[in-house]
Amino acid sequence: MIHLRGVSKRFEGKSKVTALERLDLAIARGEMVSIVGPSGSGKSTLLNLIGGLDRPTEGEIELDGEALSKLNDDGLTRVRRDKIGFIFQFFNLLPTLTCLENVSLPLHLRGWSRKKIDERARELLDTVQLSHRLTHLPDELSGGERQRVAIARALSVYPPVLLADEPTGNLDTATGHEILKLIHDLHERLGSTILMVTHDATVAESCERTIRIRDGRIVADVRNAPKEPVRV
Amino acid sequence: MSSQPLVWLLGLLMATPLLAQDARQIIEEVQKRQRSESQHYEGTLEVIGGGNRIATKRWTFDRIGSFGNSKSILRFTVPAEVKGVGLLIINHPDRASDQWMWRPAIGREQRIALQDRSTRFFGTDFSFEDLEERDVAQFDFKLVGDEGGVWKLESTPRKSSQYTRSLLWVRKENYTMIKVESYNKKGLVRSIDYRDFEQVKGIWTARTTAIQDVTRNSRTTLKYDKLEYNLPLKDADFTLDALRRGT
Amino acid sequence: MMLLRLISWPYARKHLLRWLLTLTGIVLGVGVFVGMHTANQSVLAAFHETIDRIAGTTQLQVTAGEPGFDEAVLEKVQALAEVRAASPVIEATVGTDSGNVLILGVDMLGDRSLRTYDFEDTDTAIDDPLVFLAQPDSLIVTRTFAGKNGLQLNSRVPMKTMQGDLVFTVRGIMKPGGLASAFGGDLAIMDIYAAQKFFGRGRKFDRVDLALQDGLTLEQGAAKLRAALGPGFEVEPPSSRGDQFEQTSRAYTLGSNITSVFALFIGMFIIYNTFAIAVTQRRAEIGILRALGATRKQIRTLFLAESAVAGLAGSSLGVLFGIALARGMSGYIGGMLTDVYGVAQHSGALALDPWLLGGALAMGVVTSLVAAVIPARAAAALDPVKALQKGRNQALTERENRVRRWWALGCAVAAGGALVGSNNSFIFYAGFVLSVIASVLLAPTLTLWLSQALRPVLSALRPVEGTLAADSLIQGPRRTSGTVAALMLSLALVVSLGGLSRSSFASLNEWMSVALNPDLFVTTGETLTSRTFVFPASLGEGLRKIPGVGELQMVRSVRVTVKNAPVMIVAIDVHSLERRTGMRPLEGDARTMYQQVARGEGVLVSENFAHLRGARLGEVLEIPAPRGVLRLPIAGIVRDYSDQQGSLLMSRDQFIQAWNDDTVNIFRIYLAPGADEAAVRQRILDAYGNTQRLFVLTNRDVRQYITRLTDQWFGLTYVQIAVAVLVAMLGIVNALTVSITDRRRELGVLQAVGGLRQQIRHTVWMEAVAIGFIGIVLGLALGAVELYYALGIAQRDMIGIEIGYSYPVGVALALAPVILIAAFLAAIGPAESAVRGSLVEALEYE
Repeated sequence: MIHLRGVSKRFEGKSKVTALERLDLAIARGEMVSIVGPSGSGKSTLLNLIGGLDRPTEGEIELDGEALSKLNDDGLTRVRRDKIGFIFQFFNLLPTLTCLENVSLPLHLRGWSRKKIDERARELLDTVQLSHRLTHLPDELSGGERQRVAIARALSVYPPVLLADEPTGNLDTATGHEILKLIHDLHERLGSTILMVTHDATVAESCERTIRIRDGRIVADVRNAPKEPVRV
Repeated sequence: MSSQPLVWLLGLLMATPLLAQDARQIIEEVQKRQRSESQHYEGTLEVIGGGNRIATKRWTFDRIGSFGNSKSILRFTVPAEVKGVGLLIINHPDRASDQWMWRPAIGREQRIALQDRSTRFFGTDFSFEDLEERDVAQFDFKLVGDEGGVWKLESTPRKSSQYTRSLLWVRKENYTMIKVESYNKKGLVRSIDYRDFEQVKGIWTARTTAIQDVTRNSRTTLKYDKLEYNLPLKDADFTLDALRRGT
Repeated sequence: MMLLRLISWPYARKHLLRWLLTLTGIVLGVGVFVGMHTANQSVLAAFHETIDRIAGTTQLQVTAGEPGFDEAVLEKVQALAEVRAASPVIEATVGTDSGNVLILGVDMLGDRSLRTYDFEDTDTAIDDPLVFLAQPDSLIVTRTFAGKNGLQLNSRVPMKTMQGDLVFTVRGIMKPGGLASAFGGDLAIMDIYAAQKFFGRGRKFDRVDLALQDGLTLEQGAAKLRAALGPGFEVEPPSSRGDQFEQTSRAYTLGSNITSVFALFIGMFIIYNTFAIAVTQRRAEIGILRALGATRKQIRTLFLAESAVAGLAGSSLGVLFGIALARGMSGYIGGMLTDVYGVAQHSGALALDPWLLGGALAMGVVTSLVAAVIPARAAAALDPVKALQKGRNQALTERENRVRRWWALGCAVAAGGALVGSNNSFIFYAGFVLSVIASVLLAPTLTLWLSQALRPVLSALRPVEGTLAADSLIQGPRRTSGTVAALMLSLALVVSLGGLSRSSFASLNEWMSVALNPDLFVTTGETLTSRTFVFPASLGEGLRKIPGVGELQMVRSVRVTVKNAPVMIVAIDVHSLERRTGMRPLEGDARTMYQQVARGEGVLVSENFAHLRGARLGEVLEIPAPRGVLRLPIAGIVRDYSDQQGSLLMSRDQFIQAWNDDTVNIFRIYLAPGADEAAVRQRILDAYGNTQRLFVLTNRDVRQYITRLTDQWFGLTYVQIAVAVLVAMLGIVNALTVSITDRRRELGVLQAVGGLRQQIRHTVWMEAVAIGFIGIVLGLALGAVELYYALGIAQRDMIGIEIGYSYPVGVALALAPVILIAAFLAAIGPAESAVRGSLVEALEYE
């Protein structure tokens, strides 16, 4: 599903920073992988590259059989739109929009009809058990609820790949677990390939596979023993 | 030669017979019987407009010369606000008359342009053209009927006029014109009746003229007082200077 | 569209005030444009309408310029077989207790064949023209006028005439509609011969209205008439009078166009500024959208759509504002044109031209779109990863700056090059535009440099607050430079217009002291330009005999079409003129030119005539006169500001001969040595004041009048200046509000580490005053350049007078404190909001 070959990312600036150094990685369809590592180790950069938000300085990334380097900006956007869902640590909901509207947003970007958008958005919010919060603004929700809205938004077109950057990082432990459970459920139900950046060991271990990064290199790639889904 | 002033003018315009020659002879006879060296009268004019409102004016009228080649001066005396306004008419046998108005308040005379002759003569039912004398030679005549003691004639102007034709009624008994109807392209415009005939110095003279403007539904009657013929008037009294002097 | 509702509307709603401020630029630009044009068009339309209504069934009009022609011409016209009806007319605008009335002098006997007089009561005395003619004080008024003044039949109406104030009598009232609606209903009919007398016209008519015989075309009729009357007469349909009027008001329209374009231009900067700010403020949002799969095009379209909506809203408001403005201005413009050109018109309803309004809407939208293009592109180009990161806004890239500087340099060089070929109008205007573009492109760089230069100064004043303020300027160049550019442009406008009026005042004053040196002026009206009445020449002989009168010049001025323009012919005793004023010619031989003109072998033309009409010394001018066309060479070009369209000086004797007109508009009197001005003035008034409409103005009165007239001319311009400055002020408020929003965290930190509220205030104030200061420096500099172009435009296309360059130092000095204070005032609101913001919230602010 996802293949990285010799991917490096360096930032030009007053001093050169190498975020990733000749990385090779393959992730199969339907895998749920956690990426762990200390601050500044390149986790988020890796996620951005895979998500097509950014381009590697060198190396090749292939997503669902498509070489991202061969795509122009609009091509990347299309890939992002159709194959990837993003979940952010700070939710990144638009504060002025209701839950329903926030979830509808990516569908509008795809130019769907209003009726179809409305149906899908309600279905998604139902999936994350927020049917009762349709017209609420993000400010009126708890942190966990906000993240669920963000997840519902990421699921918009049921993309094959979900990229989550510290999805529980901004939540208390209980709520974090709740969200984690939701993600596991979705993984099971939808069979999405999920990449999750985290520095919470519990969260990381709950995934089938954990990749550890330090100074832009993969220092460990372990398969975790199958576990019971995390209990809330 | 003429009898009644304004009336007259109309007279001139009109004439009539069965045989053209006869008709012209009738009119010539009418004119002959009306002939005078000069004429003077004081006229009282009543205009009866819509709502039967009556406006009264008075003027004095002097005239000298033969028909169609005469000169006349008309001068208003009543009402006060128009007193002194005069009109000098110099008729020409071969063309339209010259007319000037004298306006004492601004001290100048004003020529009445030919194009304005069809307009109403100062709120009466006459037009300026109706004040003009035109020689018989300026018309064609045709006798169109014989109504007992009265001939009915039709006249058609040879020169430009506001009228296209007129019908005239002449009493056989004394060759007096008793009625004129004038028409334009659209139909009857004015009708004039001559009434209250009386002999003055041997001339059968109407003492009242009634004119009706059909298009405006308004009537004017003109009564003649102090009518006299063959007074000793001079040519010099019928000039622009005389008009300005205001005698 | 959905994106607009979901993304843009909430943002706009949240920043409603700022958006309203932003729209103000477009509102004002479009408003001024619509206002000026609608007012102009309304005045023109009113004039056309008055002409139409007065024309009746008139097909052609015979005229011979302003002085009119002898009565005999009427008989000539009436004698033509082609003419069905012809009637003489005199028109005069006369002051009454209830404002101006258009007096139409007609011959009631014949006029009804051209015009329909529809009286209220057909049996009133007026139906009897005898009374009307017999009593020269007769007046027919309209129902409108009668109603307004409580008049009935036989009511008395006082009016100013050549014979002093006379009382007229209402002898007829016309029903509304048709003729009675001309001139807004402020119309009165008078007997033409009475009018001649009361308005001192002698035995002359202004024109003859006529209708042709059926079956003749206008061309055939006009050709016949021209052949019969000879040159010196114009035979045109009534509508052509409107065209002439239109021409006279064109110079004026150009001026208003330039200023409204400038207002829009400034508005465009404010919009650019707002969008540039919005893009930086909404980076996170843009990042999210991009992450969710929005293409660059979608982002760009979103911003452009926002600007289109904003432009549409602003333009719509602008159109409404303009209509309101036009309502106020049309009376003013109408009055001015009546004053200067003596053309009667009366603007009633506004003439709303859908094309103009639509065009203005489009103009506003396009301006807004253009202003948003760069910010929209910047938004689309935003790197989604960076956009999602919290932190500082991106500064202008060095490359961007370099490109901009190169373009600026290119424009500046091209503008400089254009100076060489500035004889050509296109090149001149291109140079003007290029110089403005160059300055706008340079603005960000200069702003940066000046901010850096200010930093030590501000730091020295207040170490912490000053440094923060300067850094805010340096680090938010997008925020700052747009505002500075807008301020710069509007100040440049103020400076150039101020310089223009200052320079022209200087020239005007010089002219007044050289050429306008008689001690007393005897006129027919309170103003020098009123030409409704004229004096008989005989009055001059009387005036000469008054003790204390040294030398007397009789001046007749009439507007005549020369070189297709309605210019003013000034007929005067040339020898006396030479003796008393001896104007130095700009071109021509001072020793011989007066003799040449006195002999009737030439004319002197004013500088503005030469400039506006491209006339050269020695060129033979064709001047139509009733007795044939005069062909006179230009003997000299002199500085004479008598008329905006240009003036021709000719010998009075020659004028009398050619026009058969010895009347006089103005007597110029030089006192005998030792005579007392006030005493002579009183003697004149005693001798003639009771029997004659006559005003005796002193030299000082006349100068004041001229200065006031010129002030009026610039009056509207000052309104526009105020508008421009207002727009710039709004820009400062806008920029500060954003700056504070952007820096809330920084300000929060400052407070958290112990900054006093007063210090927060100070830093905001200092930032505002610094923006104002930079704007002033750049604006005054650009103004120096723009003044050059303003003088050029004035000389080429507006007033035709070459005016020396003189920088309005006074205006500049006065502007500096005004703008600094205004900037400070603009900062108060934002500063307070910065102080009052919750500390916690500020620190949390992304």
